[in-house]
Amino acid sequence: MTKKNKRNSIMGMAFFGPALVLLTVFLFIPMILTVVYSFTDYFALSPDTTHFVGFENFAEIFGDDLFVQSFLNTVKFVLIIVPLQCLGALGLALLINKVSYCKKYFKVAFFVPVVMSLAVVSTLWMQIYSPEGIINTFLTNMGFDPQPFIHSADQALPSIAIMSAWQGMGYQMIIFLGGLQAINPALYEAAEMDHASAWKKFKDITLHELKPLCVFVFITVTIGAFRMIVQPMVMTGGGPSNSTYTIVYDIYETGTVNWEIGLASAMAVVFVIFVVVLTIIQNVLTKDKEGKNENKK
Amino acid sequence: MKKVVSILAASAAVCMTMLSGCSRTVSPGDIEGYDEGEQYLSLWVHIIEETPEGQAYLKSVNSFNEHYNGKYFADVEFIPRNDSGGGYSDKVNASVLSGNLPDVLTVDGPNVAAYAANGIIQPLAELTDDEKGIYLDSIIEQGTFNDKLYALGAMESSVGLYYNKAILREAGIEVPEAGNPWTFSEFLGILERLKPIMEEKNGYALDMTFPVGEATIYYYAPFIWANGGSLVSEDGFETDGYFNSDKNIETMKYFRGLADNGYMSSVPIQNLFESGRAAFKFDGAWEVNTIYTSYPDIEPGVAPYIVGDEWDGGRYTPTGSWAYAVSSGATDVEGATELVKWMSGVESGLELYEQTKSMPSTYAAYEQISAFTDDENYKALYEQLRDYGHPRPKTPAYPQLSSSFQKSLENIAISGMDAEEQLNKSEERISEKLERYTRK
Repeated sequence: MTKKNKRNSIMGMAFFGPALVLLTVFLFIPMILTVVYSFTDYFALSPDTTHFVGFENFAEIFGDDLFVQSFLNTVKFVLIIVPLQCLGALGLALLINKVSYCKKYFKVAFFVPVVMSLAVVSTLWMQIYSPEGIINTFLTNMGFDPQPFIHSADQALPSIAIMSAWQGMGYQMIIFLGGLQAINPALYEAAEMDHASAWKKFKDITLHELKPLCVFVFITVTIGAFRMIVQPMVMTGGGPSNSTYTIVYDIYETGTVNWEIGLASAMAVVFVIFVVVLTIIQNVLTKDKEGKNENKK
Repeated sequence: MKKVVSILAASAAVCMTMLSGCSRTVSPGDIEGYDEGEQYLSLWVHIIEETPEGQAYLKSVNSFNEHYNGKYFADVEFIPRNDSGGGYSDKVNASVLSGNLPDVLTVDGPNVAAYAANGIIQPLAELTDDEKGIYLDSIIEQGTFNDKLYALGAMESSVGLYYNKAILREAGIEVPEAGNPWTFSEFLGILERLKPIMEEKNGYALDMTFPVGEATIYYYAPFIWANGGSLVSEDGFETDGYFNSDKNIETMKYFRGLADNGYMSSVPIQNLFESGRAAFKFDGAWEVNTIYTSYPDIEPGVAPYIVGDEWDGGRYTPTGSWAYAVSSGATDVEGATELVKWMSGVESGLELYEQTKSMPSTYAAYEQISAFTDDENYKALYEQLRDYGHPRPKTPAYPQLSSSFQKSLENIAISGMDAEEQLNKSEERISEKLERYTRK
């Protein structure tokens, strides 16, 4: 190793070192511990009596109705919010890209919910969804029946998904907007000369050019949706009838409230494996298509 | 494999120590007021120092140090507890692993059993009958597990069945005396009479919800006790035949009747009682102050909690609050018990009432607070607590019991699910959690 290289590597370590220590203490060690604890019956109140239990925790959680329900709730939430939020963000970006007045105002207005705390947004929407809230008052005045929203097992999860999409889509909108502005106007001009319809232009130019961004947005929204906990915690406490109880909420309650760290760790491991597998599948599927498109060219 | 586990356990302990704050050895002179020859006693409380409650604790600690100058020195640390229950309890859990528990810590009443069964707290030093006699029975009951006294609190709590005097007058309904409460059947009759009146007011006879969290078991487990049922065995380790007993199925069906007959709203409506659109409401003692200060148009009264048709006159009404206990790490149990007694004593209770209006835990404190002798509503709440207060179930699996009770009640009363099936399902779940203790 030359003197310069050595100095560079010391410099590199000096910059990287503090982050590495923090990452090790707060990320890597907890991650390893979570995996190890998932094979034990670690109980927070009596750590001395911890035993290895093999796959017992995993067998228990898959036989646990509540975990299965929380898993299904989470999947249901993801299935509702991902298209809603991705398409919503794309729609908003397209609209803002078109308007010429108050562009900045709309950008800020749609982005504001993103910077607001989820707890605050959830509290606000509890009022909006309440039996005598603004939506129900409107419905009643229009001659419709008032809806229970977050107080009904059928409507609670979709209601939370709509609120979450509203809260989060501003961020993806900004990403799409950046993508839209980066599209070469010459492409549209060429299409115009070929008398391409608006739909054709959107499909073959806009969507095509935005594809890499769509993949990114799709994956980040999916992962974010799987991690949902704040909204049900604030708005419904997981109810009614566990209809808004999510995996992360179950992990939190099992570990923190019920003190069963071993069981909660097993849930976390299952959750991580599921999300990683899903992300890999998403990546492979979207990559394949890109590859095919490349070949077509 | 074992080696790997020990290395990981050691690194976990290091992390936990970092999180729980390294154990510090405090020497005389390190802290102002801690002098040579005094026994150092550390104390953790779950409140922020700057709040009125925190200030009340600080004042009590200072007066303890003044009183026991030369003998003991108590050092209080404020560890806030967040709304979802974390923070303080995370620190306690981390300290159990790292062995850094303080001498005295605050414990929520229903958690006394779990902390005691897991050896986090130890029994207090022997108290004389006179010393015990200053506390309300409910406080002694709450702090006792396996016939040993573990915890004493400075605060108590109660829930009232509030009624709107004007509405009951309009309906010509008389409220019974404390010793002669309405039975379940009588109460249904009253609600039926009130239903048309309340419908005219665009409201309900009863402002009642089953929220997620501790409130549901706290407010509504009394229906179980007053109907001759229980949620767990006497020793706290068995739920089969208790949680899912026929009596409890009957009580759960009673709740469903309240919703099915339209006596209550199936979705929570804010301030139904406070806006004069409900004749009755179950709520904590704080509701009296809320109505007095924010809803002066409402004239509230406190009716005795309702009872099952065959009620035997036993204790059944809601109680419970945070209490002080001596940790298993404390070496001077006598000294730590002195601190517990002081922090839960008459003066501390009066100070807490002064700062937070919370109900005290000692008879003498009630006698010195005019609200509990002069105001009919506060007086009724105190007398209900004194004569009929019943602690929440004492079991190490309390968190599961509490959440299972809420979920069962919500599923049965609001979602109309089968009572027997729901209670059996919940019971199995709690039983599984209790196996940890029963297989020992």
